[in-house]
Amino acid sequence: MRLPTDEVPAFSAPTMVEGFARVVAVEGGVAWLEPEQTSSCGSCASSSVCGAKGIGTAASRLAARRFRLDNHAGLVVGERVVVGIRENTLVKASLTAYAIPLAAMLGAGAVAQWAAGSDGITMAAMVAGLLPGLGIARLSAGLLSSRGDLSPRFLRRANVGVVCKIS
Amino acid sequence: MKEYVLLIVGAALVNNVILARFLGLCSFMGVTTRIDTAIGMGMATTFVITVSSMADWAVEAYLLEPFGLGYLRTVTFILVIAAAVQFTEMTVKKVSPALFQMLGIYLPLITTNCAVLGVALLLVAGRMSFIASTLFAFASSIGYTLVMVIFAGLRERLALANVPRLFAGPPIGFIVASLLALAFMGFSGMSTN
Repeated sequence: MRLPTDEVPAFSAPTMVEGFARVVAVEGGVAWLEPEQTSSCGSCASSSVCGAKGIGTAASRLAARRFRLDNHAGLVVGERVVVGIRENTLVKASLTAYAIPLAAMLGAGAVAQWAAGSDGITMAAMVAGLLPGLGIARLSAGLLSSRGDLSPRFLRRANVGVVCKIS
Repeated sequence: MKEYVLLIVGAALVNNVILARFLGLCSFMGVTTRIDTAIGMGMATTFVITVSSMADWAVEAYLLEPFGLGYLRTVTFILVIAAAVQFTEMTVKKVSPALFQMLGIYLPLITTNCAVLGVALLLVAGRMSFIASTLFAFASSIGYTLVMVIFAGLRERLALANVPRLFAGPPIGFIVASLLALAFMGFSGMSTN
């Protein structure tokens, strides 16, 4: 058994968040892919031999998350590829989808509580505050999307036998 | 104002939902391999806990308590949480399909997160006002996100560390989690009730 040493490599996070996806259709120069649901383990390549199957493995859910890529690499149906999104994209997406509406909702509630001090009015104000929050989130998501920040990119073909790690 | 600040500090740090109340441990161990995914899960959970707690407070105040239906509280809250998750999923999908593709994976996991139900039951037991219960739920979920992100950062570094083979993987993860819990016990000296 090796004992721990001080030879720890310098810490650096990868610049892309990678994930596996399978090509389900090719239409002209566009390939449609379905992501493998590795976070709940149930749909990854090792699911048939793995006992750690989780929830959310329904095929319909995967079909709903189908996305398209420009097929410059000549992908064919059934091929397994590695796709990636930029680092911090997930954080930006989370802030856009959740933090903006939540901040608008809590802000409206705080103002209503300060002005009226009634539970009913505060509740109504928070529901009303959620709507402009969702509108701002929609605009922000459109901005991110137009810059291409939310689209996965093709990185490489997955090697045969590469499966998700269950640690 | 001071009572609200104490409520927030108490819910987020002193009585942290993961490290003091031991709720949401499944996602704590399962979705903390990367900081990005921990933030994604944390933000989604924050939104769902806050929205579902508001709805739970309304159901408790206007339906369960006036009609003496307290024995239906748990099952009703589970229904409200499932509805809140479904509402969130539909909203994100409507706001931006691209965002839904990226973040939708976390939402089904939240339905079965016991922290969401735990926070709702705690705020009912505390007999708080609407604004206090909303702040309590929001602060609890911020505490949840904070611990998720800290633990994900530690695990990212652990992945690069030279850990003895016997402790590699989940064992060293549990040891680090226990050390983090010990660190958070330091907040218990703060008088926030």
